[in-house]
Amino acid sequence: MIAVNFPTEATLRRIIAFVAALGIGVATYITIADSGGGAPTCLAGGGGCETVANSSYSHLAGINVAVFGIVGYVALLATAFFANDLARFSGFAVALGGFGFSVYLTYLEIFKIEAICQWCIASAVLMTILFLLNATRLIGYAGTDGPASQTKLQTENS
Amino acid sequence: MSNRRERQKRKEARLQEESKVDSQDRRARILQSAAGIVFVALAVVVVLIVVNSNSGSGGDASNLKEISQVDSLVDGVPQHGMVLGDPNAKVELIEFGDLQCPVCKTYSEEILPKVIEGQVAQGQAKIDFRNYTIIGGQSQPAGAAALAAGEQDRGWNYLELFYRNQGKENSEYADDEFLTAVAKGAGVKNIAKWNEERNGSKLTGEVEATTDEAQRLGFTGTPSFAIRGPSTKGIELLGTPSSSGEVEEAIENAS
Repeated sequence: MIAVNFPTEATLRRIIAFVAALGIGVATYITIADSGGGAPTCLAGGGGCETVANSSYSHLAGINVAVFGIVGYVALLATAFFANDLARFSGFAVALGGFGFSVYLTYLEIFKIEAICQWCIASAVLMTILFLLNATRLIGYAGTDGPASQTKLQTENS
Repeated sequence: MSNRRERQKRKEARLQEESKVDSQDRRARILQSAAGIVFVALAVVVVLIVVNSNSGSGGDASNLKEISQVDSLVDGVPQHGMVLGDPNAKVELIEFGDLQCPVCKTYSEEILPKVIEGQVAQGQAKIDFRNYTIIGGQSQPAGAAALAAGEQDRGWNYLELFYRNQGKENSEYADDEFLTAVAKGAGVKNIAKWNEERNGSKLTGEVEATTDEAQRLGFTGTPSFAIRGPSTKGIELLGTPSSSGEVEEAIENAS
């Protein structure tokens, strides 16, 4: 039998909080840079960021997609503060949504807009890491609290 | 006494066993739900990608749309070169745009019509379109084609019709055939003259000059707007107003 050593949940939560904070930074930069008709500055030069920021795909219902990113990262950061099944499942669900959205946006960049924005890719990578971390957290620690652990606590106290 | 302890121990063991079963049930339910949403997410992403890959890409030279809508928007408003509106209007709204830019298309369809039908048609303001070519290789010839239509006072018909038939960014749709079809649809009378002028150094140089001007002004995207009027100190930068109301307010403030 192969023993799988999961990192402790506290470690996972700390890493999730750190990566989510990075994500908030990246998404906030994209949002601020894009407001007022501007665009994020691509570090290696080139017009990829401008092209992506100016494309019709950069807004959903008039809202910059990076704003959805900020909301997602803030939600993920919030789930890292709680060690219960609700937080584990919510974290997984939000990270899954964010990961799926990132896959779609990256598809648009490559095949529809035909330009790559490093900041968008950075966000997609962070969201992928968050998805993997939250999946690990859910698989490793789902069902380790709630009524079961309360019962255990009552037993210990009686 | 020992019986009581024995019972207590059995009770604890039973509770622990129940707790373990409960925990396993919860875990199974949570993981099943997680698997369910993974399936849903996968399906949503696949559907989005399929829908997008099949969506019409525009840029069809043989099937230009909305010629009559463009005519009804622009005809009746004076135009000279790329300036739409009364040449003596006190306020000049300057738009830096790229014909391949989809946001400019949205602007031309959703934000500018209200301004054109209102303050521009009433002679309060004029709009001066200037090329700021940032999307790709075909932006430059497309921009020059619009300027050449402007030489025959059909520049704004050209712009508006181009936007309404715009294809996918950098998909090479804006070729000579497409540019010519738009010119004909826009009512450019002398196509031979238009052809000569759009390839001439005067207009291609103008496209480059206005692109340089937009960069000098600090604009990094399209469409970007600037305004000049009796109440402004020279040219004032507006960036990209998010609604017709904001553009109208800027014109009022500049008057």
